[in-house]
Amino acid sequence: MSRKTIILAVFFGLFASLSLSAQDISPERKQAIDSLALEKVRDLSKYISIIGNKSTPWSEANRVIDRAEELFMAGAEMGVSSLYQSDVMYFKVRQYFERLMRLNYDRVEIEWYKIEYVSDLQRQPDGTYVGVITIFQKFKGFDAEGNLVYEDTTKKDITVYVKRKETQIGGRLIGFWDVLLGDIRVKETRK
Amino acid sequence: MKIRNLMLQVPRFLLVLLVIGLTLGGATGCKSKKKIAREQAAAEYASRIEQAKKDLNAILNDESTWTLKEKEERLAAIKSWNLQDEEVLRLIDLVEDKLARERADAERKAEEERLKKAEDERVKSKASKYTSIENQLLSIAAAPDVATANAKIAQTLQLFATPDAPVLIIISQAGGFNDYDRPTTIRRYLEYLKDQKVYNNAIEQVKYDASGKITELELIKK
Repeated sequence: MSRKTIILAVFFGLFASLSLSAQDISPERKQAIDSLALEKVRDLSKYISIIGNKSTPWSEANRVIDRAEELFMAGAEMGVSSLYQSDVMYFKVRQYFERLMRLNYDRVEIEWYKIEYVSDLQRQPDGTYVGVITIFQKFKGFDAEGNLVYEDTTKKDITVYVKRKETQIGGRLIGFWDVLLGDIRVKETRK
Repeated sequence: MKIRNLMLQVPRFLLVLLVIGLTLGGATGCKSKKKIAREQAAAEYASRIEQAKKDLNAILNDESTWTLKEKEERLAAIKSWNLQDEEVLRLIDLVEDKLARERADAERKAEEERLKKAEDERVKSKASKYTSIENQLLSIAAAPDVATANAKIAQTLQLFATPDAPVLIIISQAGGFNDYDRPTTIRRYLEYLKDQKVYNNAIEQVKYDASGKITELELIKK
């Protein structure tokens, strides 16, 4: 590579990084979208516990599946693991929720905890902010007598995508941050 | 004749002596008064310089209990003395800078106080204005079961022109510019409260139609 080419590359690299930082949002706005993305993951956690709860009426569970599915990008997958098999299986999120609703236990408890960023939201060249949130899921399955027959704890990573969009409401242009969850990958499963 | 002439010369001589005496005596007295006056003026000047230094240093080092207004009056009084002392002039410059900063700070604090008061008033009036709607939303989030929550949702929807009335949620505000969450509808938002069992927003704005039904609800994250 000639010296001229290197100088030009450095110049354009600097220019590109300056343009990128000029488009960055203020720390207050960034904090607001960080919190929004975490809130969407907490919402999903609640939806999963409602769908998995055997006492949730069927129609309610289906309505909640619709709401939960809306949190995801099209085609997103959910990883499912078990202490009894080494492979992690991946399902489309709708399929995962429907399987969750039909799990072969009389009672199911699903709790998500330690929901936090493992990789902060970073601005991509197309303006989308991408980050990774990690969660721990405690799963408990009970039989008809109320005995605990299966339990595990799974660490999962959720990729989150946050993009600025606009829509017309009441003749006004509203700018909003659309948070969508991507694939949920299993990182670790233990008793 | 000679004696007579001599007798006539004596009073003249005395008169001349008297005039000389008076002239010399008067001039000496006047000179002494001016000197005293000069000394008094010098003493007063020196005393003002001392007082000025003392007061200016007290203002600079925050050793006085004067208010900003009192400090400014003190500075104006010292400046009116027109003291041509190098140290005093330097201190006046420093105090002028310090008081300008204090004045700006006081004005900023007063403005902040005024804005806070106005904001408190606005929040207070808004809170009381929207209390009944807020209570409806809270009651859905706090419903003990699905049936109760559904009944409250149906009741709340009566306040709205349509179940599809838009709900906007502000996630941050900066410089008169709002950032929103993805817009939703009132039916979906009420169901969200039922599912998540938490209401952590506040009502920012409500729009009504001619029949008093809500056509748009704007919330803000607490």
